[in-house]
Amino acid sequence: MSKVGVWISAGRIAKTPLRLSRLSKVSSVTQRPLELILARNLMSALSTPAFLVDEGGLLVFYNEAAGILLGKRFEEVGTVGPEEWGAMFGPFDENGEPIPYDELPLVVAVRNDRPAHANFEIRSTDGALHDVEVSAFPILTAHGSQGAIAVFWPAANGNGAAHR
Amino acid sequence: MRVELWGTRGSIPSPGPETIRYGGNTSCVGVTLEDGTLLALDAGTGIRGLGLALATQPARLHILLTHLHLDHIQGLVFFAPCFCPQTEIVIWGPASPEASLRDRIARYISAPLSPVEVRELPCDVSFRHCPQTEWEIGSARIRAASVAHRGPTLGYRIEDGGSSLAYIPDHEPALGADLEALEEDWISGFALARDASLLIHDGQYADVEYPEHLGWGHSSLSHALSFARRTGAERTVLFHHDPLHSDDFLDGHREEAKRRWAEMGGDPEAVELGVERAVFELPARTAAVAAT
Repeated sequence: MSKVGVWISAGRIAKTPLRLSRLSKVSSVTQRPLELILARNLMSALSTPAFLVDEGGLLVFYNEAAGILLGKRFEEVGTVGPEEWGAMFGPFDENGEPIPYDELPLVVAVRNDRPAHANFEIRSTDGALHDVEVSAFPILTAHGSQGAIAVFWPAANGNGAAHR
Repeated sequence: MRVELWGTRGSIPSPGPETIRYGGNTSCVGVTLEDGTLLALDAGTGIRGLGLALATQPARLHILLTHLHLDHIQGLVFFAPCFCPQTEIVIWGPASPEASLRDRIARYISAPLSPVEVRELPCDVSFRHCPQTEWEIGSARIRAASVAHRGPTLGYRIEDGGSSLAYIPDHEPALGADLEALEEDWISGFALARDASLLIHDGQYADVEYPEHLGWGHSSLSHALSFARRTGAERTVLFHHDPLHSDDFLDGHREEAKRRWAEMGGDPEAVELGVERAVFELPARTAAVAAT
């Protein structure tokens, strides 16, 4: 099975309704859309933590700054779906409860083709919690949405320092 | 599939005694398919020569535009079939959220830049946005995909008679990326060029020139060769020569390309610089220079 086939069969956040024609299109192409490639290249040059998901909501890249925040480089994690992502890093609300996938800014951006913003905590691999603000926006192209980007900042209402 | 280079220069026509061997016309490649269908890849000033060389005006032909920068459309109003009422011309190109392909081309084929308007062209001309999926023209299967350049830009893959031609004349796949380290699916244009019988690819800059042109949408020699190696193209033609590069400079560029390609483990004869009027015959899965 090709890599593309693996991506398609992995658990992804499907838009509602799931557009089979788009999956057919992806299966016939053996590379990422150009807009995702350029987004990754840009993110690689930024010192702000940034995350990239494809049109199905699959996390396909995060940059070095995000890797420092999480305590794990993207190359160690690889392409993962939202369930696996949530199990590793959260995010959590102010009471420590996991935030439902549907409410995550990246998921909102991908599903609704709208920007989204939230304040929550994420957990790095050493167990520390980080207060962060997240802004996500969809990657809209002439051929529709190709995914979304999320950028993380230390929370404005705190110092962004890790705590346990 | 027969492939003829009618314009190999980038950016602006550069005629003169110092460019006479590699040519001064801007991008245009003529492709004759197995069933006789004629394609023109881009419509730079080289397309004028293609039009004049046709023994008879074809009933139908297709022009596949990678993008609408002037060096890729400037020859349209000097292409003889455009003025033949019996000829149907289908112009394919990239979609843009800004305006239709016809309207964007009409900005050039209209006053004060042009003496004729699109609606005045005697031929039967139509404009189509390239689909995201493969489609057929004559005996060929065509694929178009967006590639890294400035503005909406496509590369093409044409498969016909068991051979494949990849045409990516304006391309900066290494912008913000390490081509040697990237996974294949993250390389712009990779799927178009993979295992192509013939790859015609941007090779505008020498390595020492590239840092001053970062982000201009073109490749250095190293980047072009890395792209060719990663994609497994059987034969590579470096294209879109810089207008400042004389024949003598390009001779050196060519030798450097062959030397570097050999160092990478390839056959130095498998890398060429595009020469105006060079012809490549592509039989099933092999490519050979028929005449230059």
